[in-house]
Amino acid sequence: MDFTARKRKSIKPVEENPCSQYPHDLNMYNTPPTGEITLEEFETLAIHRLQLLRTLEQNSLKGHKIFSDEWKRCIKEELTKLELKKFVRLMNGLDGQTDLDYSARRTDHLSHYILRLAYCRSEDLRRWFINRELEWFKLRFMAQNQNTINRFLESNKLIYVPITEEEKDEILNELIMSTANMSDITIRTTNFFKVPFDEVYSLVRNRRIFVKMGYAYIPTSELIVCVQAKFRANLSEALSVANHRLPSLDDDRINTFLLNLYNSYTGKDYSTPNSEKEIDIRNLDNYSKKHFPLCMKHLHETLRASHHLKHDSRLQYGLFLKAIGVRFDDALEFWREEFTKIMDNDKFEKNYSYNVKHAYGKVGSMVNYSPFSCLKIIMGSVGAGDHHGCPFKHWDASLVKRKMMDCGVASEGIESILALVKNGHFQIACTKYFEFTHSLQAPSTTINHPNQFFEESINIATGEKKKIV
Amino acid sequence: MAFNEDHLPDLLPLYYKRLFPHSLFYQWLSYGDSQIFAKREISFTLFGDVYIRFQSFDRHEQFVQELHKKLPIKIDIGAVYQQRPKDRLTFKKLLPVQKEMVFDIDMTDYDDVRICCSGADVCSKCWKFMAIASKIIDATLREDFGFRNILWVFSGRRGIHCWVADHSVRFLGDDGRSSIAEYIQVLKGGMTAKKVSLPNEKIHHSIVRSLEVVDKYFVQSLVIEQDILGGDRLNKFLAIIDEDLRGTFKDILGKYKTSEERWKAFESTFTDLCQKGQIPRNLKNLKEEIKLQYCYPRLDIQVSKGMNHLLKAPFCVHPKTGKVSVPFNPRFIDNFDPAKVPTITLLDQEINEYDAKTKTLSEGVENSPMKIKDYKKTSLLKSVVIFEQFIRSIEKDLKALEEKNSEVMEII
Ligand code: SF4
Ligand SMILES: [Zn+2]
Repeated sequence: MDFTARKRKSIKPVEENPCSQYPHDLNMYNTPPTGEITLEEFETLAIHRLQLLRTLEQNSLKGHKIFSDEWKRCIKEELTKLELKKFVRLMNGLDGQTDLDYSARRTDHLSHYILRLAYCRSEDLRRWFINRELEWFKLRFMAQNQNTINRFLESNKLIYVPITEEEKDEILNELIMSTANMSDITIRTTNFFKVPFDEVYSLVRNRRIFVKMGYAYIPTSELIVCVQAKFRANLSEALSVANHRLPSLDDDRINTFLLNLYNSYTGKDYSTPNSEKEIDIRNLDNYSKKHFPLCMKHLHETLRASHHLKHDSRLQYGLFLKAIGVRFDDALEFWREEFTKIMDNDKFEKNYSYNVKHAYGKVGSMVNYSPFSCLKIIMGSVGAGDHHGCPFKHWDASLVKRKMMDCGVASEGIESILALVKNGHFQIACTKYFEFTHSLQAPSTTINHPNQFFEESINIATGEKKKIV
Repeated sequence: MAFNEDHLPDLLPLYYKRLFPHSLFYQWLSYGDSQIFAKREISFTLFGDVYIRFQSFDRHEQFVQELHKKLPIKIDIGAVYQQRPKDRLTFKKLLPVQKEMVFDIDMTDYDDVRICCSGADVCSKCWKFMAIASKIIDATLREDFGFRNILWVFSGRRGIHCWVADHSVRFLGDDGRSSIAEYIQVLKGGMTAKKVSLPNEKIHHSIVRSLEVVDKYFVQSLVIEQDILGGDRLNKFLAIIDEDLRGTFKDILGKYKTSEERWKAFESTFTDLCQKGQIPRNLKNLKEEIKLQYCYPRLDIQVSKGMNHLLKAPFCVHPKTGKVSVPFNPRFIDNFDPAKVPTITLLDQEINEYDAKTKTLSEGVENSPMKIKDYKKTSLLKSVVIFEQFIRSIEKDLKALEEKNSEVMEII
């Protein structure tokens, strides 16, 4: 889509034969839309797409297991409430061929391309956008039947040929051992595809499939992973191309609009440290006790006790400290003070000071790193002897329980927290923990960032103080 | 003669001049293209712990000259960048374009399960952990991923390193590296007592294969030598077991004294309970989980995940032990004794002895073209041969790749 010199107002969009242009509910978005649209339509489409993507994200944050029926139902409900029925239509998997279907698909196509312009502008934005778009793609993909999927794959030249029966017989035992969550009978009857392992990283990573000599053997039900990988690769490349082309987009109104768009809708990423309230490093123990979420509190206490933290822990904690307003010099002194209790200053300088400088963007690629969100922390991998991660996700229930008691959480609080943990609702558990440690005052939304936890906790404390004065 | 740290400055010049296999080193890291070597980050640590990062060397001779001049006590190998790392100040950002995938296993990560040594020490008993680790990882890399150009190196003190140099691996991004590393990482960390969980009835084929390796060692090296169920250590063992079952096992195992008897009692009780249907479904693999928890490789996964992580090069001399970081073959690792790895002092002695002996035999042929390479006069020979084999296999693959590419060209 070409947005240069698009100052003229409205011209009726060119309706090229819509059924040949939009035969499927699914779209790989390899061809940009043609025709013209008005500025108003442009803006509306952008906001609708954003609402769609935000809805997907929020329902995952709320604790619904992603792609579960419950998740889907909530999304449908919310989209309907937002009057975004067009998107709901694309979720039903009917692959209809009416005018309503074509029009929904056109909306989907256009709005996707418009948001690309807003979300190609930085690494973080691209990552967020790609992940949401992948969810949206997968959601629709999973609703389709084998027939429509085949049609879709074929028309996008994504051809996968299953291995032969003989080939399959030879490795049947291994397939049975190594294909996750699939009964022996299904394994015997379903088709398997042999693909290079680098097309299905997520399946390899979690040991969900049989891997041999660099090839992964995946059942039909996991083909989506390959298609998603293609989708991701295409989109990621398209976004970086779009990013380089941006200067040619010289329409001011569109520019300001796009800029505001992502600022107002992705939630805060806390990448610019809080400069108003500087943190007095000497009070850190106190802050940790009263205002840190459990993940950070644990890192702080571990550092104080063992005078050491491994790399990932340093990163998780260091960036958090930066974002709550600890200045670079203070941070360096803070780490030095602890580390030099078990090593000499030379060793610290050589092996560790670099990290701190790095976190503050003083060396290396000089990037200003943003602190980790809960999602990132929860999804991260935690190795033996590591202390980073999210306690609610990565700890034994018994340990969480003990820690809750130490923090003075009432026993009914502990119970409900443990129940949430058990069902995988880590961030809601954290939110409950917040309530029980802040005289039952809830944060404004579900906790989705450790720095949000801190900020809200401070706000409550300062608010209280004012009340007293 | 034993190695003495103070002699290192006197010994290193000879080591770099006559023993360090710099030609092979260059051959390896250039992969048939001198530009690849020139854009490789090679950092030095000098005496007094001076650390120089972002060095790169345009030519082989230049690299050798710097070795002679600076006499590093450690050489680290980093990534190949888009530009020469030494010019980095003229570029906004240094972008890594390729690097071997590496694995780093450090004995200190086993401190909670070994009783023979701790910290920097290692003996033939705890070396078994390294034997298990290298065998498991080597098999996974070869059989599951089809990688062929793999070099294993003793780190010089208490750990091992692994370099995977296949063409396809060198260009993997961080996502690909982390997926392989996590595929191999079975132990989960964090604050849990139980670190391995195999909740499904079926066990993944790669883990089944690893268990075959583990079984060869478990009773002798873990149960008996590391005494994992002996004395109070029993409590640690019991902590791995689910609360509901723990009491039963505690009562039974407590009746026995030695670690071996207790393990046998555990095994038979567990089988018994299984048959009686008293083990819940998700704990059917408890025995396997425990074995893996005690001796499955403990990886520092960060080192493997990123393209720009540096790792100590083979054939460095460890400044504290004087030992050379020599390559080894994991198939024969059971015969590898870390205590017998040659020190720089020994090598020096061997060379001098050899020279003295041959001098008397062949006066005057000093400059003959038949002159024998110095490392062949020493116990470094075996390690250099392993290094050579690794490089030859890389070259064979590179050649095959070239032929394939030229065929494709012809067809086009
Ligand atoms: S939910 Fe977020 S803030 Fe709370 S402990 Fe986990 S990672 Fe930290
Ligand atoms: Zn030992």
